[in-house]
Parts: sequence; C-alpha cells; structure tokens
Amino acid sequence: MHSEPTIDPKIIEEIIKFSKNVIDAPKLVSAPDEINLEVTPHDTVQELDKTRLLHYRSLTEKQHKTPLLISYALINRYHILDIHPEKSWVRNLLQQGFDVYMLDWGTPTSMDKYLDFDDYVNGYLDSAVEYVKNESSAEKISLQGYCTGGTIATAYVALHPQNVKNYVATAPVIDGWRDTTVISNLAKHMDVDKMVDTIGNMPPEFMYYCFSVLKPFEQGIEKYVKFFKNIDNKKFVDSFLRVEKWLGDTPPIPGELFRQWIKDIYQDNLLIQNKMYVGREHIDLKKIDMPMFTQIAVGDHLVSPECSMPLHYAVGSEDKTLRMYPTGHVGMIASSLSQKMVLPELGRWLAARS
Amino acid sequence: MSSKPQSLASIGPMRAFAANSKKVTTELIEINEGLIGFNQYLAEYYKQLSDAWNVAQKKVNLKAPEIPRDVEQIEAFKRIWIDIFDNDFTELFDSKKFGENYGKLVSKELELTKHWNNIANVVLQSVNLPSKEEIDEVYKAVHSLKKRVGKLERELKKKDMKRDA
Repeated sequence: MHSEPTIDPKIIEEIIKFSKNVIDAPKLVSAPDEINLEVTPHDTVQELDKTRLLHYRSLTEKQHKTPLLISYALINRYHILDIHPEKSWVRNLLQQGFDVYMLDWGTPTSMDKYLDFDDYVNGYLDSAVEYVKNESSAEKISLQGYCTGGTIATAYVALHPQNVKNYVATAPVIDGWRDTTVISNLAKHMDVDKMVDTIGNMPPEFMYYCFSVLKPFEQGIEKYVKFFKNIDNKKFVDSFLRVEKWLGDTPPIPGELFRQWIKDIYQDNLLIQNKMYVGREHIDLKKIDMPMFTQIAVGDHLVSPECSMPLHYAVGSEDKTLRMYPTGHVGMIASSLSQKMVLPELGRWLAARS
Repeated sequence: MSSKPQSLASIGPMRAFAANSKKVTTELIEINEGLIGFNQYLAEYYKQLSDAWNVAQKKVNLKAPEIPRDVEQIEAFKRIWIDIFDNDFTELFDSKKFGENYGKLVSKELELTKHWNNIANVVLQSVNLPSKEEIDEVYKAVHSLKKRVGKLERELKKKDMKRDA
C-alpha cells in the first residue's frame, strides 16, 4: 500500500496570493510613462541637431576645478545615470563637489541615417567638450565614457588628447574579438551592410531582441515573478519600474554609425589593433596619455570584462588604474554598490587629479 | 509589352502605376521565393530553440527528479530550472551555428523588406511622390552640408579665439 502524495497547503496559498497580485497589479502600479524619475535638476546649455548638452546644478558650495563631461552610451537613455535620487551616479558626483555635464544623444530619425562616427566624435562630442572648456574656463576637462559611449570617448581622447585632463572608461566596448557576450556573437554574424542599406537606422526592435537573449529565463520570467510577488513593496516596485522604463526606451542608432561600429569593433576589431579611422583620422590608442581610470564589472553580460580590459594595456598613459567590481553592467552605475564602492573610489581618483 | 493594355486603359495619376504593375508582380513573385528561404532559416531557428529546451529539461529532470512538495522545494526547483535553462540557452546563443543561422534569417528578412520597399517605390512614383532613393539623396546632401558648415564654424571659432588671444 502506498500513500497518496500530499501537497503543502502553503503552495495553494502562494498560488492564490500570486494570482491576486497579478490581478491587482494594474491598480497598484503606475504605467511606465507616468513614472516621475525625479531627475537631478539640470539645464540644457547647448543643442546641436538632436543632441543636448546638460549641465547639472551644483549641490555643494565648493567645486573641483576640472569639470566632468559624461559621454553616455548609444543604447537607451542617459537617465540610467540618474535613475533614482538614492542611486544616481550624477547626484553622487555633484555631492562630491564635481561640476557635471552630460551629453544626451537624443533620438535620431530617418533623416539622421548618414550620421557616422566622425559626426559623433569630431562633431557632437568635440562641440560639447569645447563648450564645457569655455564655460568653465578650464584648459582641459575630465571625460567619462560609458559602454558604447566609452567607444566614442576613447576615439575622442585618442584624437584630441590636448582637451582631456583625465579619462574615465566605464565598461567601454573596445576589443570585439575578445567579447564573450551573446551580443558580440550576433554582431559578428550580421550582414550589417544589408541592414543599413535596407532599413537605414538600427531599429529599437533589434536591440529589444538582443536584450531578450541575455539570461532569458532570469530576465524574462524570474524577474517578473519577483515583481508580482513584491507588488505590495512600494520601494521594490518603484525601483523595478524605473529600470523597466529605461529598458523600454531605446532610440534608433544612426545607420552609418552602426555600420562602422559593428564592422570596426565586432567584425574586424580595428580599434584595439590601432587600425581604426574616424573620418580621415587614424585612431592610435598610444596617444591616450592622460591619467586613465578603467572601471569594469565582473558580471557584465552586455560588455564582457575581456572586451573592456585591453584598453588599460593599450593606452600610452603612465598614470592608469584598472578596477573590477563584483556587479553587472547596470549595477556598476545604478545600484547601492555603485554608491558605496564605485563612486567613492572614482571621486577620490578624480579629486586627486582635478 | 504586357503592360501596354493596362496603360492604355488607365488615365490620370494612376497611369504610371498601371504601367509599372509588371514590376509589382515581379517583386511579389520574388517575395514568394524569398519566403521559402526565410522559412527554412526560421524553421532551423525554432529547431535550435526546441533542441536546447529538450536538453535543458532532461538536465533538470536528472538534477531534480522528485516532484516538489512544499514552498521551499518549489523555490529550489525553480532555481535549478532557471540556472540550467539560462546556461544552456546562453551556450546556444553564443554558438557559431546559432549566430550563422540568425544572421541568415535576418538577412532573408531584410531581402523581403527590400522587395516591399521596391513595391512602395512603384506606388510612390505613380502618385508623383519621391522614391526612397530620392529622399535618401536629399538626406545625404543635408548631412554633407551640415558637416561642412559645422567644420567651417569650428575653424572660424578657432580663428576668432586666436585673434582674441
């Protein structure tokens, strides 16, 4: 005689509670477009085509002499660096006494499909640097490049080292052949010429596909299970929705820029080999000779550490620091770990050189 | 020749469209041919996903053969399931065979889009609107002009700064 398998009544309880949370969710949670990100107060000080240069209002009486300009990634929006007052990269730097500027690349339309690396590096970024220099009366500025913004910033500092006092490379996309992420595998097998010639700009839908193949079960199922389980936890829901809003807001990438980025970085890997050209200018990483701070996340599944790290060894700088953090791509810039560990270290490093 | 009777029968702005209907038909035939190739890669795409699913599920069954009976066991089972599935699927997405097939699948999709664009061009021209290529020419010219103006402005600024210094 065998006994019937018994089911823990708690399981039934959990299922009923979970179902109730799913039903109640629309009443308890705001739609992504209703979320107020409580961004740090700033002014738009320069507009060039669709790009905007933002200047954050100071939070301290005294400021370090050298201003910091952030070159954000081309994927999604700059406000991940200012996602929540308690996790804001920008706010933390302001509180440490830095004068912070951010370059918002805007939303390219079909008309912008011919914008290329040259426009971004020698056009938009250079104009922003010149503006910050003039405004702050500084001969040189500090520049931070994050993710693909790090690729653009790296090309910039190699071409215009005279304008940059300190360079901070945060998870930059540098060595495409060493990148071990799923994104690099897709990029390596992509017929980018056909894509750009046929549809122009890289559509957001392609980026959403790339996001969907990164840890698909953790990110596609478990994340939402956790969300519904914690629907009563206001802090959790708020934090979840802010990141979801950011994830769902992907602008297109200009076609020509995307073409060169995929070919030169992922397929032919020209940047790290010192064979890349922007416009007609040759990028030689040895010309990066200012103090450089490279920040890498060990668990980065968007830009693997192997992809970013070679920059540290390729530049000509003598004063250079490489730091690795036990977190992921977004965790490095928008988490309690970034507030407690990443930003204080960056602040100390910058302050000593500003 | 074959479009002549239609051309004779049509008047007004739709005349060009009638004259070009042969082009539309050719594009539609090519779309059908393209769809065959697209479906081959799409079938392979789903086969790879399905194979990865089956292998991952077998691994889960080996690691957690018992049916979970309480909340803690369900949590543990879920963790095992997610870890194994994420690992196996990441391995698939990272593989050359997936990358190649996905690349070809997207490429075929782009070819279909190109045919669709060609049909749209026939329609646009039939109602005296610029084709995609003509609009692209304008975009390219605007981009080139903006670039030249930007460079001239920067050079001018530098000269002004030198003079002021």
